[in-house]
Amino acid sequence: MAQLRLDYAEFQRLNAEIVAIGPDGPNAFRRFWESQQMPFIGLADIGSKVAELYHQEVNIFKLGRMPAVLVVDKRGVIRYHHYGRSMADIPANSEVLTVLQEIVEDEKHE
Amino acid sequence: MKDVLAPDFELTDTTGRAVRLSDFRGKKNVVLVFNRGFA
Repeated sequence: MAQLRLDYAEFQRLNAEIVAIGPDGPNAFRRFWESQQMPFIGLADIGSKVAELYHQEVNIFKLGRMPAVLVVDKRGVIRYHHYGRSMADIPANSEVLTVLQEIVEDEKHE
Repeated sequence: MKDVLAPDFELTDTTGRAVRLSDFRGKKNVVLVFNRGFA
């Protein structure tokens, strides 16, 4: 997530909000968020219910303990997903930004 | 994978505010990052 933060302004420029979801309890989550002064939204997924929901309903990946990144457009449609094969396996910012750029371009032609 | 809708959910953010994925509908693109935990 530190990686995402480096380009936060770029994400905002492409009309994207970054929402981090994690298994930590709300207090630990909030303490970490505040100590790091994270600029984006952080959600404590108590009991990993949302992670489980995405595994069951989206079924593109098994969330387990691996990181995953999805891009959801303004219609609520998933436009990109990356499931990490290892704990450090998250996509490069440029890859996600390219998807957002395409979404923005698509909107111009609607 | 064509036009799969992201399942809606509601969780509380670090400021105590309730956040729903559908809150962003029609307004913003969302980059959802499922992380492993940091604490």
